[in-house]
Amino acid sequence: MTALPAKEQFDVIVVGAGPAGSAAALLSARAGLKVLLLERGEYPGAKNVSGAVFYGSAILNQLIPNWWEQAPVERYICRRDIAFMSPTTAVALDFRCAGSGYATAPYNGFSVLRPKFDRWLAAQAEAAGAFLLTSAVVDDVLWDDGRVVGVRVRREQGEIYGKVVIACDGVNSFLAKKAGLQREFHAHELSLGVKEVIGLDPAIIQDRFHLTGNEGIAFEYLGAITEDVHGGAFLYTNRDSLSLGVIGQVSSLVERRKRPYELLERFKAHPAVAPLVRGGKLREYSAHLIPESGWAMQPKLYTDGLLVAGDAAGFCLAAGLYLEGMNYAIQSGLAAAETAIAACRRGNFSARSLAVYRKHLKQRHVSTDFRAYRHAPSFVNGPRLQNLYPEMIARSMEQIFRVDGAPKRKILPLAYRMVRQSEIRPGQLLRDAYQVARAYLW
Amino acid sequence: MRIAVCLKYVPDPGTIEVDPLTGLIAADRLLYMLNPADESALELALRLRPPQGTVTVFNVGPVEADRLLQEALAAGADAAVRVWDSAISSTKPMITTILLAAALRAAELPDLVLCGGHSVDRGSGTVPALLAEHLGWPVVTEVTQFEMQPDELQSGRMRVQRRLARGARAESEVTLPAILGLETGLVHLRQASLPSLMRVKHTPIPLYGLEELGLSPQDLHFPAMTLHEVMPPRPRARVMFTPDCHRSAPERVAQILSAGVAGKAGQILDSGTPEQQADAIIDFLRQHGFLEKSP
Ligand SMILES: Cc1cc2nc3c(=O)[nH]c(=O)nc-3n(C[C@H](O)[C@H](O)[C@H](O)COP(=O)(O)OP(=O)(O)OC[C@H]3O[C@@H](n4cnc5c(N)ncnc54)[C@H](O)[C@@H]3O)c2cc1C
Repeated sequence: MTALPAKEQFDVIVVGAGPAGSAAALLSARAGLKVLLLERGEYPGAKNVSGAVFYGSAILNQLIPNWWEQAPVERYICRRDIAFMSPTTAVALDFRCAGSGYATAPYNGFSVLRPKFDRWLAAQAEAAGAFLLTSAVVDDVLWDDGRVVGVRVRREQGEIYGKVVIACDGVNSFLAKKAGLQREFHAHELSLGVKEVIGLDPAIIQDRFHLTGNEGIAFEYLGAITEDVHGGAFLYTNRDSLSLGVIGQVSSLVERRKRPYELLERFKAHPAVAPLVRGGKLREYSAHLIPESGWAMQPKLYTDGLLVAGDAAGFCLAAGLYLEGMNYAIQSGLAAAETAIAACRRGNFSARSLAVYRKHLKQRHVSTDFRAYRHAPSFVNGPRLQNLYPEMIARSMEQIFRVDGAPKRKILPLAYRMVRQSEIRPGQLLRDAYQVARAYLW
Repeated sequence: MRIAVCLKYVPDPGTIEVDPLTGLIAADRLLYMLNPADESALELALRLRPPQGTVTVFNVGPVEADRLLQEALAAGADAAVRVWDSAISSTKPMITTILLAAALRAAELPDLVLCGGHSVDRGSGTVPALLAEHLGWPVVTEVTQFEMQPDELQSGRMRVQRRLARGARAESEVTLPAILGLETGLVHLRQASLPSLMRVKHTPIPLYGLEELGLSPQDLHFPAMTLHEVMPPRPRARVMFTPDCHRSAPERVAQILSAGVAGKAGQILDSGTPEQQADAIIDFLRQHGFLEKSP
């Protein structure tokens, strides 16, 4: 190491061994680059939090064929449920696919436990030749002549130099801010996810959720569970546990003075959820921020000598139907690696040279997806779509099915009355319908 | 001066989770760490090391423990040795110390061996003494401090402070070679610098198996103390003060309000045979919870 000129010990320094960082390190190392992967945790994934369903199976399969055979995956997700909730009712849309790509290789998604999964993925990067260093907290970027030339680890003689730094340090990226690429976030752009893992016998899970073998199901909940806090909830099946959690917008949590774990308790006590978790034993509790505003939160993605990927770059699609971040983390990590590889070949690490990152992100459908869904977050995460309408749907169904001797109402008058009671103006309703359509349909 | 430090690889108590379904410790969620008392021992060894001295770290453990020995090297140890063999089926103190003693001999006997006095997992506290037995050396346990002046270095003597019961301390002196068993939490291990941490990442750790140590599996097999069970201390049931039921209500209330003070007036046994008096004392002790009630 001392033989190298002091300023270029590594070709690529990747900060953060989450999915973005490990993917970036893996691809760069495979291209023969000298890669350093720095992680602050005692091991990769030690404190990382997701739901977690990993929807990037096909992407990872290109990198590591049949990766699920060796990776610590829990269940393959071939059923998805979206439930609209009122305090006492739930109306669900149940999707089940036994078809190819869902229930067969390469599968659509797997539930995973992040501490195990991240550790495994980082080990793949190590096997490809990356140098992984844990217990290494990066606390600054090093500059030379207006360009990033390395990072400083919080240790004695912690300066370390590389040709390109890839910042994969997660939501609220310290590095992107240090490099002047990211502004401070507003509380309405961030959500707080609180999550529990509840141990349950695999046989009970199979019976309770009507699953066979290693099938798994993912539930997303919208509506009254988070009360007047903007947010939603999820419940995923693992091999012998359930992962469930509540996600609430930080600003509305603060405004309404709601504690996230209170919402989680309420969620678990909901009549549609309680029977699913009955008899389970709490295994772990965790909390983490989620960048919710997607497009609007994106930093400048590169500067001289530095690229930003994953949550650090705001590549997390959290918009009602979707809660996907790990797949985009991997895609953007790979795009950053492709950019770094090309820059190393050219020997040019200026911002202009790194600008091809945009092209690679497009090819990997990261920026295109986020552009397409750019209207979704601000609106979907608003109170009407996340809480009010789902609750109205649930309440309407309650009315439609009710038989109590009173005259049966047809659906339209019923809906009309529902809208009248909710104090939403019809014009508003139409505009919202248009927005939903624009957010998801075209 | 050659110093040896014995390092144990133990589960981090913070990561011990009992799987609620099986009631067993979830082994795949355990993280391992350097035993805290051994961490102090290593730091003190590094501080004591004279300019020409060396610090060598020893571990009996599986390959995963290499990480820990590498970290010790990064912190400044000069050499590391790991002892392991597929024939080793237990890390009971008796077996560990036979292996450690053999490894110390194989690597040329040091002048001083430092051990953590207790480990956070088994915590038998017997390793320093057993090791001393195998090597035939003096041992000082419960050590809180030690020092060596340059002249003492020449004469091979060392001043040692020991912790005694109830906060008392003992100053003593020991002749080297010797073994010290150190208390937990005396000092923190220094943080390795980034370059040394990176340097040790792929440093191979020499491994001694039974053959290299000149031992056979038979040497690890003999009747020795067997641990059957460890029981937590059971607190004695507390006896609640109850007023004498023969008294009137106001008197009983007064008795309660006196919080037992009045009840402590005592009784003088000046009549009856010695046996009767003894019985009265035993009854009294039983009533007040000092003796277990007879079945
Ligand atoms: C409750 C919840 C549920 C979610 N559910 C899902 C889901 O079901 N599916 C899905 O795809 N996504 C989900 N997400 C989103 C997903 O977790 C993230 O998008 C994803 O983890 C982003 O990966 P990343 O590699 O960019 O960042 P992270 O996974 O956050 O990794 C960042 C890494 O960088 C390290 N690091 C940070 N700072 C430093 C530093 N200064 N020095 C050194 N290392 C540092 C961290 O320790 C960490 O290992 C969920 C998120 C939450 C909070």
